[in-house]
Amino acid sequence: MRVAVPSVRTRLTLWHAGVLALVICLFSAGTLLFVRAGLYRALDEQIERDLATIEKVYREETGDLGELDHRMGMTLFEVAEGHTVIYRTASWPPPDTKPYRMRASADAVHRISVARDETALRQTLWTLAVILAMGIPCAIGLAIAGGYLLAGRVLAPVGAMAATARRITAESLSARLPVENPRDEFGQLANVFNETLSRLDAAFEQLRRFTADASHELRTPLTGMRSIGEVALQRSLTVQEYREVVASMLEEVDRLTRLVENLLLLTRAEAGRIPLTPTVVDLCELVVSVSESLRVLAEDKDQKLTVEPLAPVTAACDASILRLGVTNLVYNAITYTPNKGVISVAATRSPAGDALIEVQDTGPGIPAAHRERIFDRFYRLDSGRSRETGGIGLGLAIARWAVEANGGRIELESEEGRGSLFRIVLPSS
Amino acid sequence: MRRTMRVLVVEDEKKVAKALREGLEAEHYRVRLAFSGEEGFFLVNHEAFDCVVLDLMLPQRDGLEVLTTLRKRGLQTPVLILTAKDTIDDRVRGLDSGADDYLVKPFAIPELLARIRALLRRGRPDQILKLHQDDLEMDLMTRTVVRAGQTLDLTAKEFEVLEYLLRHLGHVVSREMLTRDVWRIAARATPFDNVIDVTIARLRRKIDDPFQAKLLHTVRGVGFVLRRDRG
Repeated sequence: MRVAVPSVRTRLTLWHAGVLALVICLFSAGTLLFVRAGLYRALDEQIERDLATIEKVYREETGDLGELDHRMGMTLFEVAEGHTVIYRTASWPPPDTKPYRMRASADAVHRISVARDETALRQTLWTLAVILAMGIPCAIGLAIAGGYLLAGRVLAPVGAMAATARRITAESLSARLPVENPRDEFGQLANVFNETLSRLDAAFEQLRRFTADASHELRTPLTGMRSIGEVALQRSLTVQEYREVVASMLEEVDRLTRLVENLLLLTRAEAGRIPLTPTVVDLCELVVSVSESLRVLAEDKDQKLTVEPLAPVTAACDASILRLGVTNLVYNAITYTPNKGVISVAATRSPAGDALIEVQDTGPGIPAAHRERIFDRFYRLDSGRSRETGGIGLGLAIARWAVEANGGRIELESEEGRGSLFRIVLPSS
Repeated sequence: MRRTMRVLVVEDEKKVAKALREGLEAEHYRVRLAFSGEEGFFLVNHEAFDCVVLDLMLPQRDGLEVLTTLRKRGLQTPVLILTAKDTIDDRVRGLDSGADDYLVKPFAIPELLARIRALLRRGRPDQILKLHQDDLEMDLMTRTVVRAGQTLDLTAKEFEVLEYLLRHLGHVVSREMLTRDVWRIAARATPFDNVIDVTIARLRRKIDDPFQAKLLHTVRGVGFVLRRDRG
């Protein structure tokens, strides 16, 4: 059988009360012992003094012991010389009905014994013990009640946070937990929660945008195919016209296929399901080979495509995936640079020893506002222009993945109207 | 006259199966269709085929299972598998089960035809040194191309594209095939269609523009083909 774990509030209270009870008990015991010791010491001193007085009286004027007895009141005493009792108070030896504390001082000849009633002392100690015994449960009870209230107050922010967090769902991720004091523990906890929520919110927002963009991109060719087919069937066409219709539909299929391929690649990449096989790759060879394969495109636009392998550079990475990334960057540069522009590709090494691949163009540049999101899937500066050039808006997203999968990063420097510089940085280690 | 090749297509998707049949018949193959693994298994055991096109996702009996059983029984017929799964694992599993080749859906019919031709050609290595079509002649040893007695100056890539088209003479070649086989790029996400289009346009300028009869044709939405001008 499982015993339900009590709430934090109950546990806090119990701990608090338990510790307090222990402290009180120890303290009470200490007090009792201390008081007891003090009282007995006082009593003993009193008896010592009595002894001294009796001895003095006895040595100086033996006959006055009776008067002394009278003066001393409660103190009982006996003075004996050998077996002969010289003086003894009325009730000597002390009766058994009451507790007496006895002391004696003796030398070779005589012996003086003194007894004092310690009932009052015992009474005092007893009273103290009773007060403590009654006080401790009361104190513990108060501690429990107070602790419970205090724990409730201390834990109240946690309850509030839980209630707020419960209301936050995927739909309302913009809500945040209240932070009363950002410096205390709960404030820190709430801040951590809020940071997590912000990240989640951003991720969901990205997902939402991606879903919207993806469905738009997927529907466009589908709509194309559908309307081309429907229109074609409305009237009878010549064989040649039918061929045109089918060809046009096939072009849309091509577009859709390419889109799905790219999306699948990115999805798999994100799920980490694309295995990398790193080898030592000659980056100079890579940039030359990528540039040469794309050179026809640049030539077609009268662009100048230069490759500058400044120094032999190698890096450990997956050649085909990195090639895909570089291809996308160079392709992008060629696509967005106007006719007669210049694209230069270089592989080099930074002073810090990182391998660099730079792709610089003289295109329109990327406004600062877009630089953060340019690598997002389907993100476009200008949808109309991109569609004309046949892009599907995934090239840079794929490039970023290809580089990051190889442990690198892409940096972007851009000046509006002057061009952009995409730099792949592959750390040396 | 060569004997007509017999192809078995095992594919449960009726539309695809029908398209495959028509595509293959247009290339003069005799085609039998099976719509389930069970049926395909039965047909292979009762008739002789030169090639089997096998879909992997089949009702009743999984394509890989059928293939494994057939290979265990000593079936030698080349088998090309069609699959919508294109991870490395899936490919390896397919080839390990005894497939000779695989094609990932969605595939282009020209590519399927090319693969089947290659499978049927297997075991008969062709040591061709010269390729030609009409008055266009390619010498693979000297790497020269001559048309109507005139030597054409082609770049290395243009030469390779032309060689590929000549090797698939009369058959349509898709952009995907060119990307993979001529540019040797495996990643399907690489943006290469424009490169191919530009290269083809340049090749056409060199081998066709100066001459009356056009050889290099674009089949819109499908690919390119080298053949005698029909019209």
